[in-house]
Amino acid sequence: MKYIILFFLVAFSIDLFAQQKQFSKDDNGKFIYYKVVDSQSLSKDTLLQRAKSFVNVAYKKSMKAESITDTSILAKGTMVIDKTILVAGHPSGEISYSFVFEVRNGKYRFWLTDLLYIPYQRDRYGNFVASTTIGIPLEQNPGKLNAGAWKDIVNSTYNKIDKFADDFKKYLATNRVEKAKKKTETISTKKW
Amino acid sequence: MKKLLTAIFAMASTTCALAQETTSSPLEISGSVDTYFKYDFAKKPTNITTSFASDHNSVSLGMIDIALKKKTGKASFVGELSFGPRGQSQSIPDAAAGGSSFHIQNLYVNYDFTDQFSMTAGYMGTFIGYEVISPVGNFNYSTSYLFTNGPFQNAGIKATYKFSDKVSLMAGVFNDWNVYSATRGVSSVGGQLMVAPVEGWTAYLNVLSGAGAGGYGTIEDLTTSYQITKEFKLGLNAANYDIDNDGGGYAGAALYPQYAVADGVILGLRGEYFKFKDVGSVQGTKYTAVTLTANIKSGGLTFIPEVRLDHSGDKPFFNKSGAAAPNAGQFSLAAVYAF
Repeated sequence: MKYIILFFLVAFSIDLFAQQKQFSKDDNGKFIYYKVVDSQSLSKDTLLQRAKSFVNVAYKKSMKAESITDTSILAKGTMVIDKTILVAGHPSGEISYSFVFEVRNGKYRFWLTDLLYIPYQRDRYGNFVASTTIGIPLEQNPGKLNAGAWKDIVNSTYNKIDKFADDFKKYLATNRVEKAKKKTETISTKKW
Repeated sequence: MKKLLTAIFAMASTTCALAQETTSSPLEISGSVDTYFKYDFAKKPTNITTSFASDHNSVSLGMIDIALKKKTGKASFVGELSFGPRGQSQSIPDAAAGGSSFHIQNLYVNYDFTDQFSMTAGYMGTFIGYEVISPVGNFNYSTSYLFTNGPFQNAGIKATYKFSDKVSLMAGVFNDWNVYSATRGVSSVGGQLMVAPVEGWTAYLNVLSGAGAGGYGTIEDLTTSYQITKEFKLGLNAANYDIDNDGGGYAGAALYPQYAVADGVILGLRGEYFKFKDVGSVQGTKYTAVTLTANIKSGGLTFIPEVRLDHSGDKPFFNKSGAAAPNAGQFSLAAVYAF
């Protein structure tokens, strides 16, 4: 019995922990997702090169570089937020954001801010498309009528950005030239 | 029901399994449910003869609409079915004659040859006009004369080329209007030029020529909307339909101003002028209609209270005593849930 209670307590704690993940606010009161990453094994130039490749190659369909210096990148981008029903779902809207990357020897930082939500609606052909071109700041109080739905949107956005951040960190930690050189393993069935 | 749920789970699970092996997107499931109450001021259920919401003093059903979409690589499909009066007997065509079946809203496959060029074949919502069958796609719950008399859907094959985010061109060949299979062969050609001159403003110039309602004819249509500020949006639909050999047709225009008065609350007006064309010496009826609508949104649910007043000097309406009248009015309250 006590194991069952313990299980529920742990599960409940995990759930509470999951709910506590939320955006911080910057000096202007805007939501911000901010990370500083130690990367002692890589030089400043390598990190900058990989960050440029991330924006211009890996995420070229959804990101556009606005300015690039020898220590920073500023880019704008969008990401689609999904509404999930069981294991299936559909896009519910998109978030536009500003992405800033700054690098020094041995470490870098990046943040996403200026988060604007554009709701999608289903068009006459059954596709989900933007219902407006004017985004709603994610920090905005949606009012009582839509508080629940808005909370879901903010949570989905956080999770999506969290995943984006993981992708970015992995991309910067990976040597893609060596990876490309690695050939697919060939298995011969003639000898065994 | 059990079988349907099992099928959905099976499809969804398969999608998950495939997602690990291919570049496919997850199966999209979406749809809507709507219900309404309407009260005609003259107590005549079909005094105003535009599509849907045809019951008087009754809490009545619209439809349940279920859409599936899946994209694998460059190929995708959309299948959308509706059940309920709005989606069967009141839509055209009724899949099983007699008003007891379902209606296919969309059933097509699409292939993106490049980021700019794609082709689509199947049965699709029409590219003509501002309003659509699904209540989720409309601001007003009642529909305009332009919608009611124009095409609902077109089966055919079309090619779309996107020159940029601001300009695209579609051209295609289609069956006659609103039929799953052609009764007069692949008899229509159509095209659509989309332009987005400034951010927030999109305009569609449409032409459809061939077999349609009442014979062979040509529709020219302009459908445009402009999100002028965060609160204010303005839409416009203007169309002209000429049926060959002096067979009639129609012409009309509708204006759709909408203003967000609070978070989740939008007020909108639809003002419409519509005229059936004269056929020989028979004068076509003229209508003017004003509809005041509110959309009150809470999550997926939208409440739509609406008052509508129609006028025609030709007296096509009825008053309470059943005599011909130049005016008709109705109140409706609809609830639409989109998922």
